[in-house]
Amino acid sequence: MKRWVLGYLAFAALILSATGTTLAQGFQEVRFGIYAYRPDFIMKERYQPLADYLTGRIGIPVKLQVLDQEQMRAALASNQLDFFLTNPSQFLVIRSERSLTGELATLVRKHDGVATASLGGVIFTAATRNDISDLSDVRGRTIASPGLHFLGGFQTQALELKGAGVDVLNNNRIKLVRSHDRVVRSVLTGDAEVGFVRTGILEEMIADDPRLADRIRILNRQNLTGFPYAVSTRLYPEWPVAALPHVDSDIVRRVASALFAIEENYPAALSAGIAGFAPPADYQSVEYLARELRVEPYDELPKLTWGELVGQYWGWLMATFILVLLLTGSMLWLRRKKRELAAEQRRLRRLILSWPQPMLMLRGGEFVDSNRAALELLRYAMPRSLLGKDIAAFSPQTQPDGDVSRQKIQRLLQRVDRGEVVQVEWVFRRSDGSEVWVDMTLAPVHETDEPQPHVLCSWYDITGRKEAEQRQRMAASVFDHAREAIFITDLHGLIIDVNDAYVEITGRARADAIGRLPPLPLEEGTGVFASARAHGFWSGEFANKRRDGERFNMALTVSGVRDERGAISHFMGIFSDITRLKAQEKELRTMAHYDALTHLPNRVLFTDRMQQVMAQARRQDDLLAVVYIDLDQFKPVNDAFGHKAGDELLVEVANRMRAELREEDTLARLGGDEFAALIVNISEPTVLENLLARLLHAISEPVQVAGHLVQVSASIGFTLYPQAEELDGDQLLRQADQAMYQAKKQGRNRYCGFDSAAS
Amino acid sequence: MHRRHFLGASLAAGFAALGLRGCGASSPLRFGIHPWIGYESLYLAEEFGWLPALVELVKGSSALDSMELLKSGQLDGAALTLDEAIRVHVEGPELLVVGVTDVSVGADVLVAKSEIESLDQLRGKRIAVELAGVSGTLLLNILDQASIERDEVTIVDAPADTHVGLWKRGEVDAIACYEPTASILLGLGGERLFDSSQLPETIFDVLVVNRKFAERVPEAVRALLEAHFSGLRHLVRNQYDSIYRVATRQGISPREVRLAQASVMFPDLASNRRYLAKNGRVEQVARSLSRMLAREGLVPRTLKVERFSDSQFLPRSAA
Repeated sequence: MKRWVLGYLAFAALILSATGTTLAQGFQEVRFGIYAYRPDFIMKERYQPLADYLTGRIGIPVKLQVLDQEQMRAALASNQLDFFLTNPSQFLVIRSERSLTGELATLVRKHDGVATASLGGVIFTAATRNDISDLSDVRGRTIASPGLHFLGGFQTQALELKGAGVDVLNNNRIKLVRSHDRVVRSVLTGDAEVGFVRTGILEEMIADDPRLADRIRILNRQNLTGFPYAVSTRLYPEWPVAALPHVDSDIVRRVASALFAIEENYPAALSAGIAGFAPPADYQSVEYLARELRVEPYDELPKLTWGELVGQYWGWLMATFILVLLLTGSMLWLRRKKRELAAEQRRLRRLILSWPQPMLMLRGGEFVDSNRAALELLRYAMPRSLLGKDIAAFSPQTQPDGDVSRQKIQRLLQRVDRGEVVQVEWVFRRSDGSEVWVDMTLAPVHETDEPQPHVLCSWYDITGRKEAEQRQRMAASVFDHAREAIFITDLHGLIIDVNDAYVEITGRARADAIGRLPPLPLEEGTGVFASARAHGFWSGEFANKRRDGERFNMALTVSGVRDERGAISHFMGIFSDITRLKAQEKELRTMAHYDALTHLPNRVLFTDRMQQVMAQARRQDDLLAVVYIDLDQFKPVNDAFGHKAGDELLVEVANRMRAELREEDTLARLGGDEFAALIVNISEPTVLENLLARLLHAISEPVQVAGHLVQVSASIGFTLYPQAEELDGDQLLRQADQAMYQAKKQGRNRYCGFDSAAS
Repeated sequence: MHRRHFLGASLAAGFAALGLRGCGASSPLRFGIHPWIGYESLYLAEEFGWLPALVELVKGSSALDSMELLKSGQLDGAALTLDEAIRVHVEGPELLVVGVTDVSVGADVLVAKSEIESLDQLRGKRIAVELAGVSGTLLLNILDQASIERDEVTIVDAPADTHVGLWKRGEVDAIACYEPTASILLGLGGERLFDSSQLPETIFDVLVVNRKFAERVPEAVRALLEAHFSGLRHLVRNQYDSIYRVATRQGISPREVRLAQASVMFPDLASNRRYLAKNGRVEQVARSLSRMLAREGLVPRTLKVERFSDSQFLPRSAA
C-alpha cells in the first residue's frame, strides 16, 4: 500500500514537471472555468466572447468550461482547470481545499449604465402573495434557492433573515433547484412561496420578459444610492477570478492584464453584461458571513480531543478538580453541621416545650411559639389559639394599676426593643374568664439580620402569692384601723406588737408597750395567760389607769394563737375602753332609785332601805319609825302659781325636811306632795316627837316661789317598828299612811301615831 | 463657529428624540453625532441594530449642534474633532476622549493660487480661514511648520460657506478648508499647496464623553465603543456594502464616498489603544493644540487636566 502511494507520487511529480515545461514554452490551451449560476446555454452564450477576447490577447486558445459545483470541484481536484471565475463563497471553499495564487481580479457588473463590484441577495415572492410582506413573514415558508453554496442565492439571504430572527435552515423547507432561473420559475408556479436569487438575475430576466416585473414582489428592498440592482440584503464583493498554482506566472500576468484591459464597450463585456474587472477585492466580509452562518468552509468546528484539552487546560482542570473536591468536602461538612444543629434545635425545642414554666416567643408583638405550660396556664388546648395574637388579646381591658393593657404592653415592648430585659406583674384572662396573675419576663433574643427581633416571654404564676398578700393586707388593715386595742404577745405574755387603738386607749407609745406586759386585772395578773392557755381564751372587765393617771374601765379578751401543730405560740388580746359604758350604767341606776325633782330616794329605794333598816333593827334590837308626810293645801299653790312654782315649793320643802333629819335617816318622795321618812336609832319617844315637831315647823315656814311668799303645812303619820307581831315594809308604810289620815282628820298641821286599836 | 459639513451637509437632520429620555432603564448615553465619514461607523451600527439600548444617538446637522448641547448638559457625549473637544472642555463640562474615529490624511487642505509654489511664498499674502474651526488648526499648524509669524500674513477669518465666493472674487491668495470646498477650489484653478497628509497624526476626529457621565455609567461608554468598532468593521471590511449605505445617507455617489474614505484613516482597536495611551499621541496633540488655541485667543485657557484621553473603555478584543 505504502509503496503504491510512493509510486503514485513519483509519477505525478514527473507529469507535473513535464507539463510545467510545456506551459513555459508555449501552452496549447488555457482552460477557463466559469461557475454555472444560470443555465448552461445562457452562460456559454454570454461568456464565449470573453474567452475569445482572452484568446486574442494572450495568443493561446482559451477554452471556456461552464461547470456546476460538483463538476468544478472534480475539475479542480484533477487540475483540469487553469483559471476559474466563481462566486466568493465557492472561492473560499476552493481556497480552503487547495492552494491558489490568490485572486487576480474582481468582476465588475454593469446595469443601466451603472457599474458595481458588489453583489447581494434578493428575496422575492409572487406578486399575488399578499400574506408575505416582510422578513418575519418568511418564517415557515417554502423557499426556492439555487443551492446552499450560492452567496447571492442563499447565504446573504440566510444572514439577513437570521438578523430578523428567522433561521431558514431550521424554520423553512428549502428547495434546492440548482439555478437562479428555476428559482424564479418555482416561485411563479407556486412550487415555492419565497425565492432567493442573486442581484442582477431578475433584471436580466426582466430584460428578456418584461412581464416578469409585475409578477414578483421583492422583500426587504434596500435603498442604496448608486447600486444598479434591486437587493434585499447587504452587499459583498463580486466574483473573483483566480489562477491555479500550476499555471505559468507569465500566463497569469498576461491573463490578468487582459482582464483589466477590458473596457465597457468591448464585445466581451457587452455580451456578459459586465463593465470589466477591478483589482481583487477584500473577501474578508465573505469569510465573516461564512463563519456567522457556519457554512463551508467554516461548517465544522475543530474537534478537541481529551488529550489536547488536558494538555492545554491542565492548570484549570486541576484547579477545578480541587475546587470541586473542596466544595464537596465543605458540603458534607456543612450537611453534618446542619444535622447536628437540627438535633440541637430539636432538643432545645423539646426542653422548652416540656419546661414546666410557661415560655413563649414573640415577634412583632405577636406570639409565634409557645410551650405546653403556657397553654395550660391560659387554659387553651391548641397552640394555634395563641399564635398570631398579641399579649393584650389575653388580658383584661386594664391592668390592676389602671393602665390600659394594650398601651402598657406596647410601652414594655418598646423598652425590650431597645435591648432591656423587662420584668413586670401582669394579669391575664384565661379562656374560662378567670384571671391569673403572672410575673412576666420579656427578654430580647437578638439575631442581627432580623428586621423584627424575637422576644422571649416567660410567665410565673403568682396568683396564690397575690391572694395571700391581699389577705395579709386586709388583716393588717383590720389590725391598724380597729377601734379596739389589739396586742400580740409571746408565750410569756410580753407584747410583740400593738395597734394604734392600743396606743390611744392606754396613752402609752408603741415603743413603750413592746416588750412589757399588757394591762391585766390586778387580782389575776399573768394568770390570765394560764387561763387562756387552758381554755383557749380569757375575758373579763376591770379598771385600769392610763399613763397620765386617769382611771378607765376596760373589757379584755385574750386568746391563744396556735401554730401549724396546734400548739399555742402567741397570745392575742383585744380590749376596749368601757368607762363611759360604766358611767351610763350608774346614771341609769340613779334614775331608777331617786326622784328626779328633789333628788330624794324614790319609793323603790325607800322600800329597799326600809328592808335594810328593818333587818338591822331586828338584829340590834333598835327602834325605828316609818313616817308618812303629806303637804296640806299644796294643790291650790300649784293651781295659783303653776307647776313650776309647785316644783320649787316641793324642792324647798324637801331640802328643809332633809336638813332637819339626821344623816342615818332616810327621806324619800313617794310621789306628788307625798313624802316618807325612815327614822332609825330612836332611843326614846320624845326624840321622835321633837323631830316631827321640827319637821312641821320647817314645812310651815313661808316659802318664796315665783315671786310670791306662800305658806303650806303638812299632815304627818308615823308607826314604829318592831311591833308585837312581825310586819313587812308594806304593812308598816300602810300603817303610817293611816296615821297620816288620822292627822288630816284631826285638823291638819299635826302629827299622829298609828294606833292599832284606832284602826 | 463652524465644523465639518461633509460634502454639502444638506441633510437637515432634526433632533429627533432629544429630550425624550428613555424612562426606566438607567440613563442611556445621549450621544451627539453629525454627518462625517469618520462617524459613519455609528450610523452603520444603528442601521444594523448593533447599537445597544444604553446608547441613544442624537443626530444633528453639524458639530455646532453637538457642542452647544454638550455645554448645556443635554448631551453626555459627542463625535467631534479634537480641537472642538478642547473648546467645549475649557468652557463647559469636563470631557474625556474615549475613542479616535479617524485621522485626517488629506481631508483638510490649504489651496493656493498657482503662482504660490511653496509655503515660504505665503508671507505677505491674504489667507482665508474659518479660525474657529478645524481649518484654523490646520492653518496654525502650517504657519508653525513654515516658521511664518502671524503678522507676516493677513488672515481673513471667514465661514466655510463663503470661501468659494472669496476665491472667485480674487480677494484672497490662499484658503485653508476641507472637503468638499477643497475640491471645488481645485476645480477653479487652485493648487493643493498643503494638506493634512503632511501633518501626520495631527487632525483627529474623536469620540468624547462627559467625564462625570463616564464615571457614573462606564458600561454605556463601553457599549458605545463596541458599537463603533462593529460599525467600523463593516465600514472598512465590507466596503462593497458600506459605500452604498454611506452614499445613500449622505446623498452622494459611491465614488465620492470612496474618495472621501481615502482622505482619512480609520484607526483600529490597537491603534486606538496606542493613540489614547497616557501621554499618547492624542494627549500630546491636545496639549499643543490647546496652547496654540490659547495663544491665538481662540480658547480662554489651556488644558489643565492630567488625562484628556482614556483607553479603558475600549473593547478588550475586536468583535
